[in-house]
Amino acid sequence: MASTRVNRRVGRILAMAGKEVLHIRRDIRTLYLALALPVVMLVLFGFGISFDVDHLELAVVDQDRTDLSRELVRQVTAPQEFVVVQDGTSPDEAVGALRRGTAMSVLLIKKGFAEDVKRGGAQVQLLVDGADGNSATQALAKAQALVEMAGRKLGGSIQVAAPPLEARVRTLFNPDARSAMFLVPGLAAYLLAIVAVLITALTVAREWERGSMEQLFATPVGRLEIVVGKLLPYLGIGLLQVLLVLTVGAWVFDVPVRGSLVALSLGSVLFLVGMLGQGLLISVVTRNQVVATQVATMTSVLPSMLLSGFIFPIENLPPPLKLISTLIPARYYVATLRGVLLRGNGLDVLWPQLVALALFAALMLVVATRRFQRRLD
Amino acid sequence: MSNSPDVDVSLEDVRRAFGAAQALKGVSLAVHTGEVYGLVGPDGAGKTTAIRLMAGLLLPDAGRVRMLGEDPADTRSSVRESLGLVPQRNTLYGDLSVDENLRFFSRLFGLSNQDFAERRERLLDITRLGRFTDRRADALSGGMYKKLALACALLHRPRVLLLDEPTNGVDPVSRRELWELLYGLVHEGMTLLVSTPYMDEAARCHRVGLLYSGELIAEGDPRELARQHGAAASNFEAVFLALVEKRDGGRAA
Repeated sequence: MASTRVNRRVGRILAMAGKEVLHIRRDIRTLYLALALPVVMLVLFGFGISFDVDHLELAVVDQDRTDLSRELVRQVTAPQEFVVVQDGTSPDEAVGALRRGTAMSVLLIKKGFAEDVKRGGAQVQLLVDGADGNSATQALAKAQALVEMAGRKLGGSIQVAAPPLEARVRTLFNPDARSAMFLVPGLAAYLLAIVAVLITALTVAREWERGSMEQLFATPVGRLEIVVGKLLPYLGIGLLQVLLVLTVGAWVFDVPVRGSLVALSLGSVLFLVGMLGQGLLISVVTRNQVVATQVATMTSVLPSMLLSGFIFPIENLPPPLKLISTLIPARYYVATLRGVLLRGNGLDVLWPQLVALALFAALMLVVATRRFQRRLD
Repeated sequence: MSNSPDVDVSLEDVRRAFGAAQALKGVSLAVHTGEVYGLVGPDGAGKTTAIRLMAGLLLPDAGRVRMLGEDPADTRSSVRESLGLVPQRNTLYGDLSVDENLRFFSRLFGLSNQDFAERRERLLDITRLGRFTDRRADALSGGMYKKLALACALLHRPRVLLLDEPTNGVDPVSRRELWELLYGLVHEGMTLLVSTPYMDEAARCHRVGLLYSGELIAEGDPRELARQHGAAASNFEAVFLALVEKRDGGRAA
């Protein structure tokens, strides 16, 4: 009896999904657009964009522990372009901080630094997280300038021959600081937000506008069955887009997949479900395609581009926007993708992002289903 | 009234407003098993609101709605398994073919492939849509579209069929065919509630309820109502106008 009921539910969900596939096949331009958009945008954004960055998190590994080494750190961090988030750690701990994303760069001052300065040729090492290539490039340029400036000051006080310091810089995860390396993950999140929210909002709002929702409500199909059935095909298209972006990213821009495929898949599905739920909620509330488009653009497409870390580093956002960004699922998805693709992270590091994505997805589905009443009033 | 075993659909003192507009002002009616009940009235009388309430698509502000003994708005109710609805608007999927629409609704009602094949054949036969199975719904004529909507609503053999102005915008030949089709269903034991603004269609019903400005101003056998007002059964428009005048005159007095 119970299995019959479950079978009927599954049958109705599949019927809804099948109907949606027919709509997509009838309007094949939408599918072409959804699949061509990633390639076009990847090429467009592949040119790279440069933005000023500051307040970059810096982990300091001071193995020299002399007045001179402490003065160097003070000089480098004085202009506030670098902020010390971790001090007195080991090189391994500092690299771990880079991997977790809690530090953007590491300043490594080896033992004997002060002696080398006195002898006239000292070296420090700067490690930069290249997962965000734009910020990494900026960090390198700033760090080099600051170290050179500090060197001149230190040289003046302790009489060392110029150049007293030479920064040996090594960028981790994205050694060449290529824009595509950090754009591909951001672009994937942005494109999925467009497809998932916008197209879902439009297709469900269309059911209200043309009156077919009235016909559906007169059948035994349940709210959740309508919701799941309508969303399944778009989940498929979204996952196809992820694959396309990653394939083009790997093929054209040599973007690797270094981390856990499980984390990547889980993050993609959770992000998509959340975005589809948001699209559904918009359509349920607006019941109008034009208004749904505007609301979807305002609440998902723009935030996914501007507040996700895709283009502008989150650490550089003003505090109110930084707070708002915590509510944007794309932020966690971009972090997940960069973690998996570039830093080689797995579930052990990325679980907070996945939990955030799961919470958002659950919230959207619950709210959308509750608001989605089987009535016309 | 709704507890009577032969009453399939009932409204009991039902009121429903949309903002300041009172769509139904305390309407009571009962539709018996196996009868053709005509809800007759001009545009804006409240016919669509009444049908949507019966289908559970709207909630009443006051009063009680019953469909096969259950509250149709209760989402746990199984009443939708036994209900067929043909809304006034074109609510099928225009970009889907005749066959695709039929198959989609058959799956929503949980029909097996064998049941669907049998009923599809019969419904295509009685609606004469057999030659148009690959045609998109939005490419059908008005009459054919209504027949497709009817076929979709009949796939699961409902006990009660609600039709909201099914002959609206349909040519006279198709109207006659539709009514012949409906009589055939009633012969099979189905209960029909049909709303229509066409007074001449009242004579085709076993009983009618005359709805005007959200009030049921008369109810009964159309021939009996015509006789009471000294009109021919075929001239039901005169009956309706007399009742409206009487009601408005009574209000003015």
